[in-house]
Amino acid sequence: MKTNKVLIGMLLILSFVLGACGGGAQPAASNEKVTITVWDYYGEATPVKPLIEGFQKENPNITVQYESMDWDTTLEKLNVVLTGGTPPDVVTVDMTWFPKFAALGAFTDLKALSGGKLNGAAWDQAYTPGGLEAITYNEQIVAALYDFDVYALYYRADLLEQKGLQVPKTWDELKDVSQKLAEGDKYLYQWLPETFHGSQWIYENGGDLLSADNKTVVFNSPEAVQAIQVYLDMLTNKSAIYWGADQGERIQGIKDGRIAMFSDGPYNMGIMKSAAPEMAGQWRVALHPYGKQPGSYLGGTGLVIPAQSKQKEAAWKFIEYAMRLENQIGVYKYAGAAPALTAALQSPEVNAVDPYFGGQKPFEVFLEAMKTAKHFPYVRQWNDIDVAFSTAMEQIGLGQKSVKDALDEAAATATDAMSK
Amino acid sequence: MTAGSLPNQRTNRLGKYVMPYLFITVPMISFVVFLLVPMVISLWWSLNDYSGIQPAKFIGLKNYIDLLTEDKYFLPSLWNTTVFVLLGMGIGPTLGLLTALLLNQKVRFQSLFRTAYYLPVMTSLVVVSTIWVMLYNHNGLFNSFLTTLGYQPVGWLSNPNVALVSVAVASIWQGFGFETVIFLAALQSIPRELYEAAMMDGANAFQKFRYITLPSLRYVIAFVYIYGIIGSYQVFDQVFVMTSGGPVHSTSTVVYYLFSKFQDLRLGQASAIAYILFAILVIFSYVELRMSREKE
Repeated sequence: MKTNKVLIGMLLILSFVLGACGGGAQPAASNEKVTITVWDYYGEATPVKPLIEGFQKENPNITVQYESMDWDTTLEKLNVVLTGGTPPDVVTVDMTWFPKFAALGAFTDLKALSGGKLNGAAWDQAYTPGGLEAITYNEQIVAALYDFDVYALYYRADLLEQKGLQVPKTWDELKDVSQKLAEGDKYLYQWLPETFHGSQWIYENGGDLLSADNKTVVFNSPEAVQAIQVYLDMLTNKSAIYWGADQGERIQGIKDGRIAMFSDGPYNMGIMKSAAPEMAGQWRVALHPYGKQPGSYLGGTGLVIPAQSKQKEAAWKFIEYAMRLENQIGVYKYAGAAPALTAALQSPEVNAVDPYFGGQKPFEVFLEAMKTAKHFPYVRQWNDIDVAFSTAMEQIGLGQKSVKDALDEAAATATDAMSK
Repeated sequence: MTAGSLPNQRTNRLGKYVMPYLFITVPMISFVVFLLVPMVISLWWSLNDYSGIQPAKFIGLKNYIDLLTEDKYFLPSLWNTTVFVLLGMGIGPTLGLLTALLLNQKVRFQSLFRTAYYLPVMTSLVVVSTIWVMLYNHNGLFNSFLTTLGYQPVGWLSNPNVALVSVAVASIWQGFGFETVIFLAALQSIPRELYEAAMMDGANAFQKFRYITLPSLRYVIAFVYIYGIIGSYQVFDQVFVMTSGGPVHSTSTVVYYLFSKFQDLRLGQASAIAYILFAILVIFSYVELRMSREKE
């Protein structure tokens, strides 16, 4: 009797659990009404939400269920739904999440789904070679690059002019200019102890994080050690400020004059315009100074279709709609970010004179930086590599270890992770 | 036996034997579905190399062995958590008891103070942590005070030797109001006659505290410590908001490390961390319960 009760109970639970797990929608015929779910992490200044009305008008059979959430929540929820099996149909994904998801085969191959074309044009015509490479994994295209992020030098043009200094183009010039610009704890170069900035210095000296075949850790090569040493020298000679957790938001440092130079992507222009409008005309952007060659990490936002999506055709229609030239311009118009489509980036609406940056055309600079930028390696152990390298950067910046010791130790840790 | 007694008896028996089961059915289903089943699944995952996307690969105890022998950050995270617990449990309950003893005197506006001390407990940890980040900021209140006195500003959250203590202080401030309220309620339930009798016997304030107050509070103290240790070992929000585990992993705690493994879709390793933490908490709870029973 007791056993029967236990069995019945277990069956009830099982049926409940199975009931909750099952019931996914089936792929729809082309004229059948379908609903796609779109997750958007842009927040209030989203370029995605304004697309919905026009898209639904054009595709009356497709209803878009739109969900807005912040960057952190998107990553957490994506982790949960990708492992739980009921993901949305279109998601805005940060390219820094790519190594893990791409290596695990979490996203649909858009090359196959699109028949090799994006809005009628071949994929390689839509993007720069770097942009296309960033969305390619194992010969599949796993995202439509929606906005891009590459780093350039932001600098206080007014201070440089006051002191009769030229915009630095090389590391030597950067060292010289930053020393002449610094006044105690003011007007410094922002020193960030993490992979985005550390890797930029390494790329700029002809080094890399991993070898070309992604099999060997090389961020402790002589070029890399030399690059990080030059970066560290800026801290040692007090022309840079170590930006730890208690320095606050960068924009505070920009406003109170602690920061006069820093390296970051185009999205930062929007932050400066809204948070420091009183500084209009004081700032400019330039290609980041380099040792042997220009370099930057390449990131941004991709639009992806999770592999388990049940409405891939409709989801692809939405992505193609979002990637139309006029809608790509919306990335700049609404979010102030850099649209990834080359045609959009070169359009007069985006590539316009910007009064905040003293009448400069800032996107010209970022487009130039994009030509030599490279995405982080798409390997499953990327997080381990990132943690090991950024830990070394902290140790170097805090003076706990020499550049070589820290990078060697981190390389050993990363190599160990890659061997598993 | 009357005609109506049989149905009544049946109803009584139904009420006596079936109703309790009906009442506990909902919580039991919730317990099984939301706790027991996930725990069993998590135990299985901890024995697998599993990302949640690719099929699971059974690897036995490898996740546990790797974490305890090879993983560069797990044992330091466990150590950081233990230091955090020691700091929190060393100061928090003592501070709570002292505050409760003060409030237990004939203090005016007692309820106002009680509310004031309890207010941070009711405030979201994210809000509290954000406020403390501002206080610890390079140009924040603490550093402004230090520089006014002619000292160098301290890297409260960027110095690896200081950051964990900074996070612990913020947590103690947030949590000791809870202990205050619990101790205050317990203090007020101690019979006055005991103190009056002690006074007649010539006991001084310390003796009254040592021989009446402390023994009367022993269950409450045990509760506060068990609850506190279990809670402190699971510290996450403050670390997430204030330091993200840095600098140089100096504030990385077990649950924060578990979270980072989950974010990296290492579900097997994350589950193994959860079970190691579970084992630690079970041991602490057992020791604590045994101690309080022995005292009894």
